[in-house]
Amino acid sequence: MLQGVSTTLSISIFSFLLGLVIGLPLAFIRTYERGFAIFVDIFEKVFRGIPELVLMLLFYRGVGLYVPFPFDNAFFTATFVLGLRSAANQSQIFRGAIRGVGEEQMVASRSLGLSRLQSITRVMIPQVFIFSTPGLGSEYALVVKDSSYAFVIGVLDIMKRAEQIRKIPPYDFVTPYIMAALLYILLTFPIATWFDTWGGRKKNKLGL
Amino acid sequence: MTNIVMECRNLWKTYGNIIAVKDVSLQINEGDIKLIFGPSGSGKSTFLRCLAMLTPPDKGDVFLRNECLTKPGVDLNKARAKIGFVFQHIWLFRHLTALGNVELALRRVLKMSKDKARDRAMLALKEVKMEEWANHYPAQLSGGQQQRIGIARALAREPDIILLDEPTSALDPELTGEVIDTLRDLAKMGTTMLIVSHEMPFAREVADEMIFYDEGAIIETNLPELFFTSPESERAKKFMARLIKRTKRE
Repeated sequence: MLQGVSTTLSISIFSFLLGLVIGLPLAFIRTYERGFAIFVDIFEKVFRGIPELVLMLLFYRGVGLYVPFPFDNAFFTATFVLGLRSAANQSQIFRGAIRGVGEEQMVASRSLGLSRLQSITRVMIPQVFIFSTPGLGSEYALVVKDSSYAFVIGVLDIMKRAEQIRKIPPYDFVTPYIMAALLYILLTFPIATWFDTWGGRKKNKLGL
Repeated sequence: MTNIVMECRNLWKTYGNIIAVKDVSLQINEGDIKLIFGPSGSGKSTFLRCLAMLTPPDKGDVFLRNECLTKPGVDLNKARAKIGFVFQHIWLFRHLTALGNVELALRRVLKMSKDKARDRAMLALKEVKMEEWANHYPAQLSGGQQQRIGIARALAREPDIILLDEPTSALDPELTGEVIDTLRDLAKMGTTMLIVSHEMPFAREVADEMIFYDEGAIIETNLPELFFTSPESERAKKFMARLIKRTKRE
């Protein structure tokens, strides 16, 4: 079962990072590029509206049928789907944070001669991260928990291992699931808490 | 010979059916200190923002040292680097220290080396007497100290002109003094400034010219002395009477 931990952890971390790399730019595009806002909205609606399980089966069985590479790889497909869903969530989290930081910071930065991109990277993003901490922590926990759906497409994660152990004699139905539950708590709780504490401390210090 | 630093010609800016800037023309020469005052909501802030091209005007032209900023294709970032702006609500970068706030544009806009930017930033902090607070975050400073950092941030790039939008009006009354002192120092150094302010004793002392602004337009331009003794326009007369009464009460 411990072998499953590294798989669960890799899926979670990769998809969370994929969500960050896509979600953060989407949030800024949604805020500053009115013309593209509609596309971001559609993306968010689609990936937040469809259950994770459906998405995973759809991409692995459906899309994978016509585009075998790379969707015949269960690990890749699970990470990809979770990552896109997380991008949709993170885009919303960051958009709220951008509003929280305030347009004033942008104006002040532009008044100094910084370009819009410089203002985003130097002034907005550092503060956006602090503003988005409680949400970002919960999002990470959500990704870890939802990675458990990957077992239906055959990824050997914690959940799949628990299933396998259950099926061998003496057919213990309880212990494997309790073990899995504990492992999931261990994987989510410390990191989500760390996000909260870090953000809380920064907010206090900087008066955000 | 006079040297025009900033000029605007027939500037217009409307929001819906509110006219914030109505056909305004103004010239500011090297070393000039001009002070704009008038009722709140009359469009003074918008006018200032149009000059810095933070809010693009609808019509009319803005010039910075012969360069037309309202022409399409002008590198506005480059132009803004030469215009200092001080905000009413200060708007320091909250995630950066006082030094970080002042350094940012020196590093990223003027592309100075780390050491050079630091030296220049410290010099600017010294000018506003805040060098001892260089490593403090805005949240750890009083409003007056924050505004002095705001002034240092605008000053550090050695801009051609500094535009100040009511730099003291968001501060507690007991904190305005230190900011006024800082502005007085800038005036002594010959800094070109356009200030929106209602600090009348200060205006009388440093301004070369005062501009009464109401309903999006310049109503009267005059020497400070004349505004205090005999304003020409009826509106300015009324406004000055109210201001002086208020100042006396304080």
